[in-house]
Amino acid sequence: MSLTTMPVRDGGARRVTRALRFDPMAWLGILLLLLVWELAACLLPPAILPAPLGVVRRLCSEFLSAPDLSYFGLANASLLGSMTYTAENVLLAMIVGAAFAIPLGLVTARQELIRAVIDPVMMTVGTVPILILAPFLLIWFGVGRASAVLLVTFYVIVVVYVAAQRAAENIAPVFEDYAATLGASPRAVLRDILIPATIPEILGGLRIALAGAWGLEAVSELLGAQQGIGKIIEVLAGATDAQGIMAALLLLGLVATVCDGCAAWAIHRLTRWKSSTPVAGA
Amino acid sequence: MKPLSPSRRRAIGLIVLLCLAAIWQLLSMIYPAEAQPGEPMIAGWQVIFTKTLLSLSDYWQGGLGVRSVAEGASRGYAAACLTLIVNSAITLARVLGGLAIGTLLGMIGGLAVSWSSWGRRIVNLPMQFLRTLPLLAMVPLFQLWFGTNLFGQIAFTAYGVSVIVFAGTVNAVANIPAIFIDNARSLGASQSQIYRSVILPGILPGMRSTILLALGTAWSAVLGAEYLGAQSGLGYIIVYAQQFAYLDRMFLVALVILVFAAVFYTLFDRATRKLLAWAPQTSRREIAR
Repeated sequence: MSLTTMPVRDGGARRVTRALRFDPMAWLGILLLLLVWELAACLLPPAILPAPLGVVRRLCSEFLSAPDLSYFGLANASLLGSMTYTAENVLLAMIVGAAFAIPLGLVTARQELIRAVIDPVMMTVGTVPILILAPFLLIWFGVGRASAVLLVTFYVIVVVYVAAQRAAENIAPVFEDYAATLGASPRAVLRDILIPATIPEILGGLRIALAGAWGLEAVSELLGAQQGIGKIIEVLAGATDAQGIMAALLLLGLVATVCDGCAAWAIHRLTRWKSSTPVAGA
Repeated sequence: MKPLSPSRRRAIGLIVLLCLAAIWQLLSMIYPAEAQPGEPMIAGWQVIFTKTLLSLSDYWQGGLGVRSVAEGASRGYAAACLTLIVNSAITLARVLGGLAIGTLLGMIGGLAVSWSSWGRRIVNLPMQFLRTLPLLAMVPLFQLWFGTNLFGQIAFTAYGVSVIVFAGTVNAVANIPAIFIDNARSLGASQSQIYRSVILPGILPGMRSTILLALGTAWSAVLGAEYLGAQSGLGYIIVYAQQFAYLDRMFLVALVILVFAAVFYTLFDRATRKLLAWAPQTSRREIAR
């Protein structure tokens, strides 16, 4: 799933640079979005759709400390503190998930038998929305950090497993054959060819997993948690506070966008060496 | 290493799934702890297809000649099966309704925006932002807007699907090799002719992966909506059972959802693979990605 809208024939590396560079038209787009929102907010009552400026103000005023929220009995009332909790969980799940999924994906791409065993499990889990696990995890592991992190971890494992497996499959066999002909041991092939060559696609998979992780973490907190941005949304939904919900969502969306942008930039820096044209025989 | 034949691989897959079922049974025997008296943490299959299935009749509201438990009837398989059928129908209606509306709106919007490169450039950044907004966290907002009725859940699902389909359509149009369009144009095709005969068929291979993705999103969205506020549907039964720690009921209903999701996915995959047999190998590879 490519996130750029640039034509494929431009090749990988240049495509990323173009996507990263800001297009003045893009700002016009954001402006239009805000204008539509503002207009809609004028027509609808503020309890349904609050105006954008009010939402931003609310976000700023409750960023560091939110006395309103402390009445709901939240341990960590500020938006910043809740967002940090959510971000910690997402990060933890990403690390644990990647640590399991990458080796598993690489091994299964090369070992048919192991793949035949693991693929059906991953396919089953992959076609089913991971969300179905949430109520079970909440009972088995309680409403603490563990169940939310586990839920996101499962999701990360499924996404990154497929990415890693596909990455290893997409390497032209010519590379490994050539190295072996020159006398490289299997371990050297793994270290010098398989791992470096799969890095770009694995990083792409991690980026997709990260993008989806925020929503799952938030909904897991909505279903049962003591803190986090999802918990904030839950208590505000109980008070039908549309402005507060939108402020929390805006913060979550902004953090997710910034993280995605950072990930795109980091991937671009790390995989600069990648050739933009596919090798023949791939 | 010799590659395994597809039938062999399928056989191994089946064995693995059967092994998982057996492991579950084994776990239920060696770990008989109960969440509450009479409700095992891990319910064996013999419990799930008898006592658990029967207990689903508690959710039957009555009607169709089958009396509900609340009306004094004892638990029965008829009421239990009706519970499953009716709630499945509700959930499937939400999934399919959201999917249909969302796909339609997303595709129309995506094609409209792709008419000129200006539209594409304007829409790019807001689209990225809408896509990164975590869909599932928006359930309470949609409930506030549309209420916790069927319409609200379909609206939520349709929103989630349309954002993905919209982005996918814009992307698919941009990925059509320029030479196709240039060729058509040099042969004198007008913009609307190009749309009809080059762009519409040209985006189909790209749309396939988008819709597969949207399928998963639709299920997640419906589950999210049913967990948080719906009063019917399979997800509602799961969450309602969770409040009483009826793990066996949750497990049974989750299995039903699992079967539905897998069937949907397989059907769509099979159907579109045949339809897209004409797509050149390279773009099929692009789809796989």
